[in-house]
Amino acid sequence: MFGKKSRKQPKDPLVRKLMDIVGENEVLYLKEDLVAYECDGFTMSKGMPRAVAFVHNAEEVSQIVKLLNREKVPYIARGAGTGLSGGATPLGGEVIISMVRMKRLLHVDLENRKAVVEPGFVNLKLTQSISDRGYYYAPDPSSQYACTIGGNVAENAGGAHCLKYGVTTNHILGLEVVLPNGEIVEIGEEGIPDRPGYDLIGLLTGSEGTLGIITKITCKVLKNPQGKKTVLAYFDEINDASQAVSDIISAGIIPAALEMMDQTAIHGVESGAHPVGHPRDIAAFLLIEVDGIEAGIDDQMNEIVEVCKKNHVREVKVAQSEAERELWWANRKTGFSAMGAISPDYLVQDGVIPRTRLPEVLTKIGEISKKYNLRIANIFHAGDGNLHPLVLYDARVPGEAERAAKAGSECLKVCADAGGSITGEHGVGIEKKEEMRFIFTDEEIEAQTNIRAVFNPEDLLNPGKLFPEPGRCVEVKRAKAQ
Amino acid sequence: MISSDLEGVLPKEQIIHPEGEPHVLGNGGAQIIEVLSEEDISKVLAYANKYEKTVNIIAGGTKRGYGGTLEQADILLSLEKYKGIVEHSVGDLTLTVKAGTTLQEISEELAKSGQRIALDAPWPERATIGGILSANDSGPKRLLHGSGRDLVIGARIVYADGRVIRTGGKTVKNVAGYDMNKLFIGAMGTLGVISEITIKLRPLPKYEGLALLHFPNGDGENIRDFAVQILDSMMEPVTLEVLSPAMSEELMGKNAYTLAIAFEDQEKAVIYQENWVKENKPAAAELTVLHEDEARGWWMRFRHIGPNGHNDDDNEANTQAAFKIGTNNLDVIPAIETAESLASEYNVSVQSHGGAGHGISKVFIQGFPEDIVSFSKALRAKIEEKRGYVVCIHAPYALRKAIDVWGEKPAYFPILEGIKLANDPKRILNRHRFVGGI
Repeated sequence: MFGKKSRKQPKDPLVRKLMDIVGENEVLYLKEDLVAYECDGFTMSKGMPRAVAFVHNAEEVSQIVKLLNREKVPYIARGAGTGLSGGATPLGGEVIISMVRMKRLLHVDLENRKAVVEPGFVNLKLTQSISDRGYYYAPDPSSQYACTIGGNVAENAGGAHCLKYGVTTNHILGLEVVLPNGEIVEIGEEGIPDRPGYDLIGLLTGSEGTLGIITKITCKVLKNPQGKKTVLAYFDEINDASQAVSDIISAGIIPAALEMMDQTAIHGVESGAHPVGHPRDIAAFLLIEVDGIEAGIDDQMNEIVEVCKKNHVREVKVAQSEAERELWWANRKTGFSAMGAISPDYLVQDGVIPRTRLPEVLTKIGEISKKYNLRIANIFHAGDGNLHPLVLYDARVPGEAERAAKAGSECLKVCADAGGSITGEHGVGIEKKEEMRFIFTDEEIEAQTNIRAVFNPEDLLNPGKLFPEPGRCVEVKRAKAQ
Repeated sequence: MISSDLEGVLPKEQIIHPEGEPHVLGNGGAQIIEVLSEEDISKVLAYANKYEKTVNIIAGGTKRGYGGTLEQADILLSLEKYKGIVEHSVGDLTLTVKAGTTLQEISEELAKSGQRIALDAPWPERATIGGILSANDSGPKRLLHGSGRDLVIGARIVYADGRVIRTGGKTVKNVAGYDMNKLFIGAMGTLGVISEITIKLRPLPKYEGLALLHFPNGDGENIRDFAVQILDSMMEPVTLEVLSPAMSEELMGKNAYTLAIAFEDQEKAVIYQENWVKENKPAAAELTVLHEDEARGWWMRFRHIGPNGHNDDDNEANTQAAFKIGTNNLDVIPAIETAESLASEYNVSVQSHGGAGHGISKVFIQGFPEDIVSFSKALRAKIEEKRGYVVCIHAPYALRKAIDVWGEKPAYFPILEGIKLANDPKRILNRHRFVGGI
């Protein structure tokens, strides 16, 4: 009731100016409306935005950016809010520019294998829009039914099938971007590759919304493979499963996907919404998919089965129907949320290691689990060494959330020490800012912030993300105070 | 004097004082410094930066005629002897290598483990990995395997002030921080000297096949229709490269437009796809099929056509130049036809090829300098009508001044310049080598 009344007369003059640009009904500013924007899929850090403005085109974005520059107000572009590292989470006081109304599929040119979308267009919808003609968009993050392609570009999203097909950056041909000075520029016009100039598409992809606001995307689309075969391989020893992963790759086979899950994770997914009936007593399973020309698939699969047998596999099952295959993938793709069935809370990590180091890293993660007395489930893209340790905890138990965060950070340290990275696809965001120091020196971080300054000199666009800052303690205090 | 200064920085055996006329391709240096280690690179740049000496960068010299309006810099930094494999992790399918290593040296080493870098850039025995990536060179197989930007996962870069900055890492997936690797690929050495590169590998194909379709009537529409048909099928060609009649003539003695369709897969899958081509090809098109060594040999010959920085002719009438054209994928066919018709109009000889599935074409041209200039202007005007671009990837120094190597500056040029100044504030590295005179 008081909401309606004050909606007519927002006190904040900035809100009125935002309304002038996007329309009166397209700005949220009441606390009860803003709560939903306090965080993204990473829920351990929250901040209240000043307002949320829903934009409809690049021109509106440009006007808002210019306004906020004049007013020196920080701002964040946000898609579906499915990010897992806090990249779209306010520290407090930012204006959120929501891209969700910019959700049109603008153009499809299958002969030249490209499609042009607005940033709010949902990932899976692109594949759905072209599947009747046998085409698809390859990057398939687990949240693809909800996440937007704009957000995928900002985070350089991955997915289960990037082992063979690459991550988002390998599938982006062109971008229209509103720069932090409000200028609208087109890079990679027409989606034509290698235009003269530094690779700004490559730089912007994965820049976590700190270099510009993407307003149009030209994506590469692919033709469906002729054939596809999916198998589950059950192992009694986790090391055997890890070794099988290395041996498959060493045998010269690049499967479309090569996923792994350990026993704790299997208990989770079997208690979740899409149980497959995996044996509860196995140590791990591999979910392996090969695709390509049908005539060659059986030979590939036979080689894979041989490798698994050499590594003492208990059983190998081939999906007998598309329905069975889809169930296996649903079981895998809802793996994170299925942890809710066996634990009140969980924290997802996203370390990457050279895949030959899998056995030792998994052993060390087991030790971390014991040290902090918290279960850690492992669901991961084994083929490319991208681990997702899920630290299970109960936030109601005092101190447990903090312990979980420490255990998660320690997992990343183990990955970094094994020659890996702290994030393979979820991004740094707020969550892993400090962990950037595990892999980069101060000078190397400065080389990156110098590039940020070229685009975003006043650091008004998504401030406080991605890089550790000397003033961090001050910021934490401020966030807590709010 | 600068030479004595540098002798204090590196042993004098590593410093060469070139005599005689500057190189016909320009991009030289008053002194040539041969570096043997990353530390050497670092010392030379720290020195050059301090005293504001300009530095040109070279290794195999295959890209010497690519861009650049400086005939001589103060220093020509040569990475030709800075070579070798640092780490090959077979199980991880990754390789770390020094920038001056040639693509052939790398390929030979990796083949021992059944692996490869999936880059089929030209002149592999001369072209170094650092040069290929700096110039973002590629070959027909980028259709399936991607180009340098899709393969590099990490690097060590010596910045203009001599500091060594690591970018990326050693894992095939990594989104920590900005994807700084991308900045240095295709930057023409203007942002730093690539010292070491970590790159994703691919297994060597189990079996290779090559279907060559000759179109005797030279009808672009026929080629286009068949390219569309195969792209819309579920075949998985590794190349869909259109060759001009003159290029086909040189490679196969057949003066006809040719479509080179490569397959790499299990043997059964390769044979299946070749049969598909046989059954679906236009009746008038003549088919030649090559396998394994024959196919590899054909591609190796393909990679040895065009200028390489060492094969320019003194005779003015045989002046050579090369252009890279970017278009929509299927506009490659009209682009090559345009080059053909302009060649007769401007009295130059042309060989060209382009990928109907990836949009990059190359045109190699020979003739009198003034005709090459006229040809290049007409070519650019035509290609830009369809929003494509033309870049001159090889021309003698004197000619480069008359040809607009990079074309118009992009609208976002201030960002490019900002990036340049962030990395190299005194503009010492490959000065004026890149777009807009960066």
